[in-house]
Amino acid sequence: MRVDRHKVLIANRGEIAMRVMRSCQRLGLEFVCVRTAEDEYSGHVGLARELAGDDSVYTIVSYLDSNELFSVADAAGATAVHPGYGFFAEDFRFARRVVKRDRPMDFIGPSWWVIRDLGDKINTKRIARSLGVPTVPGSDRPVYSELEAEEIASSLFEFQSSQGITEGVIMVKASAGGGGMGIEEVGNFDEFRSVFRRTRNYAKRNFGDEGVLIEQRIFDFNHLEVQIVSERGGKKHVHFGTRNCSVQSSGKQKRIEIAPGFAPGVVPYSFDASKVLRDITQHSLTMAMESGYDNVGTWEWIVTPKGEPFLMEVNTRIQVENGVSGVISRIDGKPVDIITEQIRLALGETLGYGQENIGFDGVGIEYRLVAEDTDNRFTPCAGTINHFSWKNQDWLDVYTQVPTDRDYDIPMEFDPNLALAIVWGKDLVEAKARGLQFLDELVLTGEAGGKPDNFNTNISYLKAKTGSLLEF
Amino acid sequence: MDAERRIQELRSRLTYIRDIFAGKENDNIRLLAAKLDEVLGREDERSGSVLPEELTRLEDFFDFSERKLDSILSPMDRVRIVRHSQRVCLKDILENVYDNYTEIGGRGEFNIDPSMLIARAYFARRVGDKIINQMVMVIGQEKGHGEAFRNGGSVKPWGNAKALHYMKVAETENIPIHTFVFTPGAYPIEDWPGAAQQIARNLYELAALKVPIISVFSEGGSGGAEAVGLADRRIMLSHGYYSVISPEGAAAIEGRLRGGDRATPELIEKCATNLCITAEDNLKNGYIDRILQEPPLGARPNHYEFFRELRRELIQATNEVVSEVKAMKLYRAMLVRTSKADDAESIFMRWTLSPSALGRLVDLRQRKFRKMSTHARLDGTGIVKRAVAATKGAIWATHSYFRYDLLGRQKKRLDAVFEDIGAEAHLVRRKLLMPLKNTLDKVFSGNDVEQIRKGEEVRKKLTRLSCPEDGACLVGSEWAWTSPRSQEDRTISCPNVRTHHCPDLWVPDLFGDFAGVCSSCGHHFPMEYRWYLENVFDYHRSKEFNRRIESVNPLNYEQFDLKLDKAKEKTGLKSACITFETAIEGVEAVVAVLCAPFRGGSVGAAEGEKFIRAAELAGRKRQPFIAYVHGTAGIRIQEGVNGVIQMPRCTIAVRRYIDAGGLYLVLYDTNSYAGPVASFLGCSPYQFAVQSSNIGFAGPGVIAETTGMDIAPDYHRAYHALSRGHIHGIWDRREVKKNLHQSLLTMGGRNLYYR
Repeated sequence: MRVDRHKVLIANRGEIAMRVMRSCQRLGLEFVCVRTAEDEYSGHVGLARELAGDDSVYTIVSYLDSNELFSVADAAGATAVHPGYGFFAEDFRFARRVVKRDRPMDFIGPSWWVIRDLGDKINTKRIARSLGVPTVPGSDRPVYSELEAEEIASSLFEFQSSQGITEGVIMVKASAGGGGMGIEEVGNFDEFRSVFRRTRNYAKRNFGDEGVLIEQRIFDFNHLEVQIVSERGGKKHVHFGTRNCSVQSSGKQKRIEIAPGFAPGVVPYSFDASKVLRDITQHSLTMAMESGYDNVGTWEWIVTPKGEPFLMEVNTRIQVENGVSGVISRIDGKPVDIITEQIRLALGETLGYGQENIGFDGVGIEYRLVAEDTDNRFTPCAGTINHFSWKNQDWLDVYTQVPTDRDYDIPMEFDPNLALAIVWGKDLVEAKARGLQFLDELVLTGEAGGKPDNFNTNISYLKAKTGSLLEF
Repeated sequence: MDAERRIQELRSRLTYIRDIFAGKENDNIRLLAAKLDEVLGREDERSGSVLPEELTRLEDFFDFSERKLDSILSPMDRVRIVRHSQRVCLKDILENVYDNYTEIGGRGEFNIDPSMLIARAYFARRVGDKIINQMVMVIGQEKGHGEAFRNGGSVKPWGNAKALHYMKVAETENIPIHTFVFTPGAYPIEDWPGAAQQIARNLYELAALKVPIISVFSEGGSGGAEAVGLADRRIMLSHGYYSVISPEGAAAIEGRLRGGDRATPELIEKCATNLCITAEDNLKNGYIDRILQEPPLGARPNHYEFFRELRRELIQATNEVVSEVKAMKLYRAMLVRTSKADDAESIFMRWTLSPSALGRLVDLRQRKFRKMSTHARLDGTGIVKRAVAATKGAIWATHSYFRYDLLGRQKKRLDAVFEDIGAEAHLVRRKLLMPLKNTLDKVFSGNDVEQIRKGEEVRKKLTRLSCPEDGACLVGSEWAWTSPRSQEDRTISCPNVRTHHCPDLWVPDLFGDFAGVCSSCGHHFPMEYRWYLENVFDYHRSKEFNRRIESVNPLNYEQFDLKLDKAKEKTGLKSACITFETAIEGVEAVVAVLCAPFRGGSVGAAEGEKFIRAAELAGRKRQPFIAYVHGTAGIRIQEGVNGVIQMPRCTIAVRRYIDAGGLYLVLYDTNSYAGPVASFLGCSPYQFAVQSSNIGFAGPGVIAETTGMDIAPDYHRAYHALSRGHIHGIWDRREVKKNLHQSLLTMGGRNLYYR
C-alpha cells in the first residue's frame, strides 16, 4: 500500500494533534481525530473540520480508553494510528494491540517490542550498560535484599568521595513507583538502612512490589537530548542534533528547549563541550542500532558540571520539542519536519538520505507558554483566555490549540501547555534577541475567577531565563 | 390397661414400618394393617374384648412380618431407618451400654454444640473377685430423637473442635476412645474455625493419635463422619449407612437440579442403590471391619438385647486392638482372636498401653488405611516399570537414611561447633589487627593517584551489569506458556467494573502478559492448570511418575464410564491428579497437582493413591512436597465410599510425611471445596491461595439447602479464608513462583527438608 492510501487515526488532542494533521496533509493522507466533550472548542477540532470536514471528528468519552479508540478506528476505517505524546504513546500493549488485532493497523511510532524494551528505565539502563554506554551509577535492577542494598549504597558513597564530592547524596526509590512517589534522599551511610526499610515498606504498600532502586543523586546537571530517526526494520539511523532542556519547572516539566545542546565557542565551558555532544550522539546512535530502534525517538542525557554524560532514559515517541530540532536541521539544505518524517517512515517508506545529507543551521529556541504561577511552585492557573495574539515573523512558528478569535476556557484535565513558540536565529545571540522580541510583542490576557489580576502566565519567567540559556 | 399399652405399642410399630417404607405399597404391610384394624375395630366396640392370647399372636405376626420386611429393605429404606426419630441415639447407648458415664460439656442445648456429645464412661469388669472399671472416652454425634437443637447430628465446626480437644485429653490420660458416628454430614459453615478447616485438623490429629480408637458407624455422612471416624476398628451397625453424600444430594447433582427443585423419589432411590452405602457393601470393600447385627428394621431404644451385643462388641474390639500391640498378652491374645463376641466379657485386658505399644498402634492404624481401596483404581504401570520404581524407592530410602539420618545428624553437630569457633576467632582477630590497620591507613592516606584508581574501580563495579550473562533482559511478562485463549481479538469486562471502574481488558493482553489478572483491580481470572505447570513448576523439565494410575468406575455407577472416558479424552489425563518431581529455581521438590478440568478435580481412589505415593516419594527423597490445587469440587461422588476413604488415607500419608520432618505446602487456585480441603489439603500448616480463589467446605447451593442461609457472593473468597485463619497467605498469580521459592527457602531447613 502506498503511503497516501492510508487513513490515520490521531489518538490525541491539542497542539500535537494539530501538527500531526498538518503533516498528514503534507503527505496527502486522510485522517480522523477524536475529541472529548470538554474539547469542543479546542484548536485541533477546528483544524480537523477545516482540513478534513465535519465527519473526521469523533466524540469519545476519554482519550485513555483504548477500546473506544479502536471502535472509532473501525468505524472510520483507519489503517494507521498516531498516538502523539502522552496518553498511549509509550504503552507497548497499545502498540501491540494496534498491529495484532484481527483488523491490524500501522502504529506510527516504534515497534511494540522496542517500546517495551526501552520504555522501562531499568531495562534501558541494562541495555546501555551492556553496550558500554555510561549510565547513572547505582543498581540496574530492583534490589530486594538489605545486604545487597547496603553494599551498593556504601560503594556509591565511596564513589562520590573519590569524585571529590564531600557531601554526597544518594537516592533510594521504589522501582515500581513513578512521578516522584517513593523517592528519598540519603545524606550519609548511617541513615541508609532505615531509609531503605521505609522505602521498601512504602513500595510494598503502594505498588505491591518491594523492589527498591539505589542511585546517585546528581546536582546542577544539564539536561540534553539527542533526536534519533530510524527507518522501519531498524537498520538505518540518523540523528537530528541535540537539544538542551535544562530550564524546567519544579515538577520537572520543561519550559524552554534550545537546539543545539551546547554552544562551544560562544559560551565558555569548563569542559570540552563539543566532545560531550559528539559522545552522546555517538552513544545514542550505537544504542539505536543495537536495540533495533525503528522510528523517531529521543535519548535523554544528563551532563554533570564536570562534563560527564550519563544516559537517563529513552523516549520512544515524538516529543513536544521535536520542532526545535526540525528548525535547525536541513536535509540537503531543505527544512525538515520531524513528524512528517515519523509518519512517512512508520508507514514503511525508506529514509532516502544519510547522515552526510543532514546539515545544521543556526539556533532554535522553543518556549512553552503555560498559564501558571511561576513564583508559587508553578501552580497551574485555571481561567479563561480573552485575548491571545502575536506578531507573525518568518523566523517564528507558533503552535497552539487556543483559538485566537474567541474566549477559551483552559481545561484542567490535561497538560497545561497553551502554546509552543519556536524562534530561529542564525546564532545564539540573534536567537535570544528574537526570543525576547517575540515575548515582548506577545499579547496574552485572561481572567481567573473573574479577575484579570489573578491570571498568571509564565511569560516573565521565560524572559528571565532567556538571558542565561546554554550557560552552565 | 396392659392390653391398651400393647395395642398402642403395635400401633406405633405399624407407623414406624410405614415411615420406613415411605408409603411404598407392600403385601406384608397391608396385611399387618388389616389385622391390626380388625383387632382395633373390635376393641372400639367394647373395651377389653381383645384377649391377651390374641394380642400375643398378633405380636408374633408383627415380629414375623418385620423379619420378612427386613430382608427386602432397599438402601434408601435403610437411610430412612437411620434418620428415623426412633433410631437409637448416643444417649441411649451411653445409658445402656456403659455402666456409668458423665457427660462433658453441658446440659441439653446449653452446650457449645449440642450435636456433639462427649462423655467419660466406664465398663465395670469382674476379674475373679475384683471389680475393675475400664475407662473410655466416648465421643459422638447426638441426634437426640429429633430434638431440634441437636441439629440432626450435623456438627458445627466448634463441635468438632470440642471433640478434638477431648481426643487429646484421652491421649494424655491414655484411655481408649469410642467414637459413635451419627451424622448426616457436617454443618457447612465457615467461621472461626470453618467446617473444612476443623475436620482437617481432627483428621490430622486422629491420623497419629496415640490411643486405641474404636468407632461405631450408624449414619456416616461424608466429611462429618470422618471427623471422628478414623479409627483402629470400625464397627458398623447392620442398618446403618456410610456414604460420600446423602442420596438426595447425589440425586440433585445427577438430575442437575437448581436451588429449590426436589429430585423425584425414584431418582433418589436409584442414587442410593448406585452409591453402595450399606454395611454389607462397605464390609466387602474393606472400609469397615465388622458388622453388628441389629434387630429387624433397625435398633430402637427398647431393644435391650442389641445394647448387650454392642457392649460385647465394643469390649471385644478394644481388646483386639490392644492385644495386637501389647507386649504382655500371651494366652489372652490368642483367646481374644479366637473367641466369639460372647466371650468378650470374660477376658480382661488392661487398656492402657506403654509408649512403645502406642507407637506400634499408630503404625498399624496407618498401615491399615494405606492398604485400602486397591480395587477402586487401575494401575496400568508395566511390571518392569513397577520393579524399577520399587528398587529406586528402596535405594532412595537407604540413601536418605544414610545421608540425612545417620551422617546428616553428625555433620550438623560438627557444623554447629565449627560455626561457633569460627565466630569467636573472627572477633579475636579483628580486635588484634584493627590498631595495625588504622595506623597503616593514616600513613598512606595522602596518595591521590591511589584514590583516583580506587574511584575508577568502584565506578566500574557500579556500572557493571548485575547479570551480564543475559545481557539486556526483557521487561514485561514473558511467560513460558500462555493460554490459547490469548489468541482471540476481543475484550472482556472485569467483574469488578462497578466497584473499581476497570477498563475492558483486551484478551491477548489479559491472558498473555497479565497472566489473567485485571491490570486495574487485580482480579484474577481463572487460568489453565498448564499455565502453572509450565510457568511455576517447569513441567517440561520435570519427571512425571505414576502416570498410568487410572480412575475407574468401581461402583459401576450408571453412565459414569462414559463421563470418565470423556474427561480422559478431553484432558489427556488418566486421573485428576498429576504428580511429578521438579526443581523450583533450583530447589528440588515433589509436586502433586489436582486439575479442575478432569471431573472438576474431584478426588477418587486413583487420585488419592497418586497423592499418597507422591508424599511417600517426597519423604523418601527428603524433598519438600507441594500440593497445587488448580481446583477441586470435592470427593468424587460416583466412587462412593472409595472416594471418602481417601480423606483419612491421604491425611495419614501427609501426617507421616510431616512427622518425618517434611515441608508440606498447599497452594489453592480457582475453587476448592469439600472433602479434600477438609482433609489432606486443609491440614497443611502452610496453605496459600492465589488471589480471587474460593476455598470452603460446601458451595452456596448446599449451604442454602442445609442451613437455610443465603450467603454473600464472596463468602468463600480467599481473603475471607485468610481472615478466618484457614489459609496463611494470598499470592498474586504472577508472583507465585517467586513466593514459592521464597517460602521453600525460608520454611525449609538447611537442606530444605529437615527442621
